[in-house]
Amino acid sequence: MKIEKNRFYEDLSLILNRTQQVSFAVSLLFLLLLFFFWKVQILDFKKYWTLSEANRTRENMISAPRGLITDRNNVILADNAASFKASIIRENCQDYNSSLEEIGRLLEIEKSDLKARIAKYESFPPFKPIVVKDNLGLREIARIESKRLEFPELMVETDPRRFYPFSNLAAHVIGYLQELSPEEIKAEAYKARNLGDLVGRTGVEKEYEPFLVGVDGKLTEVVDSVGRNRGEVGRVEPIPGQNIQLSLDFDLQAKATQLLEGKEGAVVILDPRNGEVLALASYPTYDPNKFISRFTPEEWMELIQRSDHPLENRAIRGLYAPGSIFKLTMALGALNAGVITEQTTFFCAGTTRFYGRPFSCWSKGGHGVLNLTEAIRRSCNIYFYNTGRRMGIERIAESAKILGLGEKTGIDLPDEKEGLVPTEEWSRSVRKTDWYAGETISVSIGQGPMVVTPIQVAAHTALLANRGRKVVPCLLKSPSQTQNQEKKLLLPDTAGKIRAELFEQVIKGMWKCVNEDGTAHAARVDGFDVCGKTGSTQVIGREKAEKLGKEIKTHSWFTGFAPRDNPQVVVTVLVEFGGMGGATAAPLAKELFDLYRKKYD
Amino acid sequence: MIDRRLFENIDWFLIVLLVFISLIGVLVIYSSSHYLPGRYYLKQLFFIAGSLVVLFLFLTIDYKILLTYSFYFYGFMAMVLIGMLFFNQFIAKESWIKLRYFQVQPSELAKIAIILVLAQLFSEYKKNHVSRSAVLASSGLVAILFILVALQPDLGTAVSFLPILLGSLILAGLKRKALVWILILSVFVGVAGWNFSLKDYQKKRLTTVVFPGKDLRGSGYHIHQSKIAIGSGGFFGKGFKKGTQSQLKFLPARHTDFVFSVVGEEFGFLGVAAILFLYYLFILRLFRSAAKSRDRSGVYIIFMVSLMFAFQVLVNVAMVIGLFPIVGIPLPLLSYGGSSLLTNFLGASLVLNVKMRRFVNI
Repeated sequence: MKIEKNRFYEDLSLILNRTQQVSFAVSLLFLLLLFFFWKVQILDFKKYWTLSEANRTRENMISAPRGLITDRNNVILADNAASFKASIIRENCQDYNSSLEEIGRLLEIEKSDLKARIAKYESFPPFKPIVVKDNLGLREIARIESKRLEFPELMVETDPRRFYPFSNLAAHVIGYLQELSPEEIKAEAYKARNLGDLVGRTGVEKEYEPFLVGVDGKLTEVVDSVGRNRGEVGRVEPIPGQNIQLSLDFDLQAKATQLLEGKEGAVVILDPRNGEVLALASYPTYDPNKFISRFTPEEWMELIQRSDHPLENRAIRGLYAPGSIFKLTMALGALNAGVITEQTTFFCAGTTRFYGRPFSCWSKGGHGVLNLTEAIRRSCNIYFYNTGRRMGIERIAESAKILGLGEKTGIDLPDEKEGLVPTEEWSRSVRKTDWYAGETISVSIGQGPMVVTPIQVAAHTALLANRGRKVVPCLLKSPSQTQNQEKKLLLPDTAGKIRAELFEQVIKGMWKCVNEDGTAHAARVDGFDVCGKTGSTQVIGREKAEKLGKEIKTHSWFTGFAPRDNPQVVVTVLVEFGGMGGATAAPLAKELFDLYRKKYD
Repeated sequence: MIDRRLFENIDWFLIVLLVFISLIGVLVIYSSSHYLPGRYYLKQLFFIAGSLVVLFLFLTIDYKILLTYSFYFYGFMAMVLIGMLFFNQFIAKESWIKLRYFQVQPSELAKIAIILVLAQLFSEYKKNHVSRSAVLASSGLVAILFILVALQPDLGTAVSFLPILLGSLILAGLKRKALVWILILSVFVGVAGWNFSLKDYQKKRLTTVVFPGKDLRGSGYHIHQSKIAIGSGGFFGKGFKKGTQSQLKFLPARHTDFVFSVVGEEFGFLGVAAILFLYYLFILRLFRSAAKSRDRSGVYIIFMVSLMFAFQVLVNVAMVIGLFPIVGIPLPLLSYGGSSLLTNFLGASLVLNVKMRRFVNI
């Protein structure tokens, strides 16, 4: 073959040899490539498989709506409204800076604000969405959606937004929501929560946070390279939070709020039979709708700076001297201690001296000789000064504790204040001064260092109405939560500490106080045996006020219950700087008793 | 002109391999573009049928005759490319992918012109080593078309002229020293080109090969997605039409330049190895055909065609797995595109032409 070839054809062996060398090199390159595919497809398979799965699926959170809050008649007090929020996923930003600029323009947020917002969550992994705007308008959503493909880092999700249909009504009871801080999210308690989640900060929203909050769902979708949705592969439905029914009565609450308008004060209406709170109002109030946002709007800054503290729930956190209302405690305590009887009389000349210091009655002309029920009816100071001197501070303090003053009532609201019933021990260890006997005289009419909260006074009144049976004020109505019922059973009654028949004597005084032209006559309701007591507490001592030559208005109290037998309702009213209790607080209470009677009796 | 003896000497196995690989291409193109308008797989079938007809028609003309007219062919191509260049001034330049597939590409056919003209140039070159004048002449011829095509701008096709030139020079007997010089020169040209004539997107593609993880969202995106596609295919692949990377469009240029990534994703390492094996079989048979040539020019033709195939296959496959910059070189026979397919069939036709005429008397 070779010979033949050489005869007819030219000698090509040299160049053929060269082709062979090159083809050998090509073969080697093929092998090399195959090796690389082996590495990528076999050795690194897991890595690339994970990457491809991450590519094709996207997990979206479905926010669970918070449980609704209703009154006892299912009027919705806290609702959810459809809303949308926009978040940034830093990981998806192509160019972080220009991305922020463009998103800022799209959402109409200042770039510096946007930066500050993101800086807040800097320490979280970049794939976690950071909410940059909530409560988006329809126009904004349309604008964002139309640019969705340009902004893979921007995400719009539904966000059921808390909505309070009656704005400032019962705002202090319901509370409000605020965003979890970055520190809180890192804490164990909020492990399941996401960046930008809202959490109850006060009121029922805080107290029942674990019940109200739902479990967010998750939607896993297949997406293509430009982020278009190509169908679902998995869906975990959100579990909405539990609804909560409060014992509040919408009408009473509305009336109470309306009556307080323009004043600073608090109203508590209780059912003494079970402690259910029918109304709990504090004024001035605020509209929580205005700052249910992840951001801090001006309204909020304004509210926290106002001198009349609208955010403060005066009913459970306002500390006031009980004033003449404390005379009920004095009467019961003294009867129980045996230092007086119903028949004991004292003479009131309008003023008297104890320990070398003058003490006066509010009636300058004096009340003359009076017995216990009369002293209650006319709220005589001199009578109780004498009673107080006989009892001494320790026995006064003991009675106050037994009757529920100076300690938390245990209402299901956060941050209730304790108040203070002074004792000699307190004076030494806290105040670091000795207790003066003269102070006991002041305490006898509910002045001095003693302070209580309106809710305490209401619970205290319920105890009187129940002739000794203590109740814990509670806002929760739903029978499913037995937590509170259990708490109630655990509490000790005053039975045995104060004899039951003694209550009747004090109640008789309260009845007269309202119905027989006593100081609380303005609270009288025809045909509804109201029993009550007013109080007017000096903010500054009378002598001091006279020295300054100023007319200092007192805080105005009324507390009472009705009817006298089988009491159904307790009303406690406090108006700051309202003047005389009988003039300011009692008429408000009358309107509330009236409304209650029309509705329930 | 074509008698029975010639017909008997046709390398049918080569044709079967050629058509078989092309048909696999139709399948992969279908998988990666069935959801797009345009029915690329049907068009590709027509291209195959048409190219096959042209291949047989081309066989009827003796390559010797083709060689005598090669300079005219070359001149014609140059004219067309110059015309294109002027025409290009007036139409908007789209990205490199679109540009290369929505127009007829004379630049692809220019490869055939180069092969023929170089084969003619070296047909009587019997020295052991190539002379300087021969190097200059051949390089000059290629350089003219290279510049014209690179200006289009179609760097990928232009670059694929170079292995053809280098192949002819190696056959002609390039000295070791000269090879070293060529390497130095190409580095120099590369640096100069980097600084003066490469466009930004081209530079980025080159840096991406060196630092693939640097910019996953920008220029590294294509290579990254391609590697994910291939790697996630594993041993058996995700199955026909089941590759998420390709079906959900994470993969760029799925039915054209990155068609092999689809093979990797949907048919796995098994598919990759099988197709690489088929290519290897085909290319090796092309190289081996050189021995069946009756004269020097035939050897040149076969060698250059083989190198043209080998270069494109190796570069494309290296490109999709991230070993080579994205230069826009399609995978011969598998990638969608009529011009490229026709050029490759013509190349194969030339090899068959030389091979079947080995016993014909001069």
